[in-house]
Amino acid sequence: MTQFTRREFLRTGAAGTGVGLLGLSVGGGLAGCAAPLTADIAPTTRRRVIVIGGGWGGATAAKYLRMGDPSIEVILLEPNREFVSCPFSNLVLSGVRAIDSITFGYDGLRRHGVRVLHEAATAIEPDRRRVRLADGYLQYDRLIVSPGVEFQWEQVEGLAANQDKVLHAWKAGPQTVQLAQQLHSMPDGGVFVLTVPPMAYRCPPGPYERACQVAWYLKTRKPKSKLIVLDANPNIVSKTGLFREAWKAYPNLEYRASNKVIAVDPGLREVRTEFDKVKYDVVNLIPPQRAGTIAVQADLVGADKRWCEVNHTTYESVKHKNVHVLGDSTIGLPVPKSGTVANAMGKISAIAVVALLNDKPVPLMAPGNTCYSFVSDREAIAVVNSYKIENGKVVMIEQKLTPAQSPFVAQRAEGWAKSIWHDVLG
Amino acid sequence: MHTMATALLACTALLAALAVSEGWAAGPFDAPGFTKVFTCTACHGPAGNSESDSMPIIAGMAPEYFKKQIAAYAAGKRPSPEMEPFAKMVMHLGVDDVAAYFAAQKMQPTRMTADPAAVERGRKASEPCVVCHGKDGKGDVEKGIPTLAGQPAGYLREQMALFKADKRNPGDVQVKATKALMATMPDASLADMAAYYSSRR
Repeated sequence: MTQFTRREFLRTGAAGTGVGLLGLSVGGGLAGCAAPLTADIAPTTRRRVIVIGGGWGGATAAKYLRMGDPSIEVILLEPNREFVSCPFSNLVLSGVRAIDSITFGYDGLRRHGVRVLHEAATAIEPDRRRVRLADGYLQYDRLIVSPGVEFQWEQVEGLAANQDKVLHAWKAGPQTVQLAQQLHSMPDGGVFVLTVPPMAYRCPPGPYERACQVAWYLKTRKPKSKLIVLDANPNIVSKTGLFREAWKAYPNLEYRASNKVIAVDPGLREVRTEFDKVKYDVVNLIPPQRAGTIAVQADLVGADKRWCEVNHTTYESVKHKNVHVLGDSTIGLPVPKSGTVANAMGKISAIAVVALLNDKPVPLMAPGNTCYSFVSDREAIAVVNSYKIENGKVVMIEQKLTPAQSPFVAQRAEGWAKSIWHDVLG
Repeated sequence: MHTMATALLACTALLAALAVSEGWAAGPFDAPGFTKVFTCTACHGPAGNSESDSMPIIAGMAPEYFKKQIAAYAAGKRPSPEMEPFAKMVMHLGVDDVAAYFAAQKMQPTRMTADPAAVERGRKASEPCVVCHGKDGKGDVEKGIPTLAGQPAGYLREQMALFKADKRNPGDVQVKATKALMATMPDASLADMAAYYSSRR
């Protein structure tokens, strides 16, 4: 019994040998402090919450759970070792920002006592209150699932087989850098095609901000080039008037509404819409989206097989007890799929879970949304939404837009980012 | 790999357990008003101590001043696309509770540093402001004059520019003198004065 894998440990744990392990050295080095391994066997004296996904919602929830009740053990499962912010990642495409400036580690969460494991949850078993990892299981008292979005590759012919050539860059990270390289190495006079998926998708104004950044880059660096935006939607879906106004500065931007992309052929360098074929030098195809795969596999999605319906005040799944779902993968609340909303949902669900685990009433809390978009290298616009709870449901109080683009709004956007990154991870 | 991960898991658990046994206080969720302010802290920082240059610090703010600003934002008198919806949310939640929460927090002056030359220029340029805001910009709670000391410079500069352009509380007689004074200031002085007040403690 000198070396235990987790699987062996969990198998034997049920037989009650865990207690006998206290004080024993398992392996060497770091394993010297192996005593609390018993925590991996249910039941524990402490309450355990597992959070799946260390994005805006999940990371926030993990931190606030620890802040709210340090006696709760919090395990965050996130395969990526670094958090790369989707907000501000469009500025990496235009070269206004470096990817390093939007990349953060998880040490801040560790300082709050969150146990961050860079592993993927491979399955959820709600009936047995456990999460399967590649090697073994973890028990939970409550589970928070914040898996973000997954792409519906199959909705666009030729996309699944060409994921390495046809980039989405819709999850900030390596693809953001690759797409920036493709844009920057495109010959002047080339055509950049950006495609917008049908609603609902992550970050409604995001594609239009991206259009601004690509158009700004082309205007200043490759003035003979052109951007064609193929939008599956009948119009710009967010901040419509403000983007229309901003685009007046970009005669190199051609916007085609109601142009749903149905196929892509990287050999011919061509995308096909329902009516048309469009040649490209560089394509950025943002695929249609649904909730993260684990939410689909765990039967947390509704009849649409895409999104997860939740209780509006606790974010508990309507399908499985003790499982809460946050962020972009949810549906049914009148909120956009934004980082700010996911951050708010993270806090609300953490407060709710702390209350539930302590047999206290859950306060009624609604999220808020602040969403900035950069329309050039130095000017931004914003939309802000506030909400309240009415009869147990989230209801919007008000939506407000900035009257015009301005450098002041851009400065406030920078301030928002700095603050909220700290709120999520610091 | 997995034994390593398991060992790390065990170690963090031990540390967490130690932290608990050392007697951590009950979490901040029990602080009165916390469940009404968590939206604010996304921009205004932990407990209202802003980390950024453009968002004001609201920790330690006098409740009467706080409430007056929320009312002005909600009514559109202090025009702000960001704050108007959130001010209405605060009114819905109960402005007294939210104001009391932030008033009870200790203000930590901004950690953003300013150019010493700008601070020195700002000290001279802001001499006419002393009569109301005091020598170090501490304001006067009784008279409803806010503290400028330690606020982020970017925020102060933007507010001075809004006063100068009569875009903050247009028609409000209480800030008439401020606007008249700002109108006499060159734009460069606004940044200097912001640097000066930001540096005060």
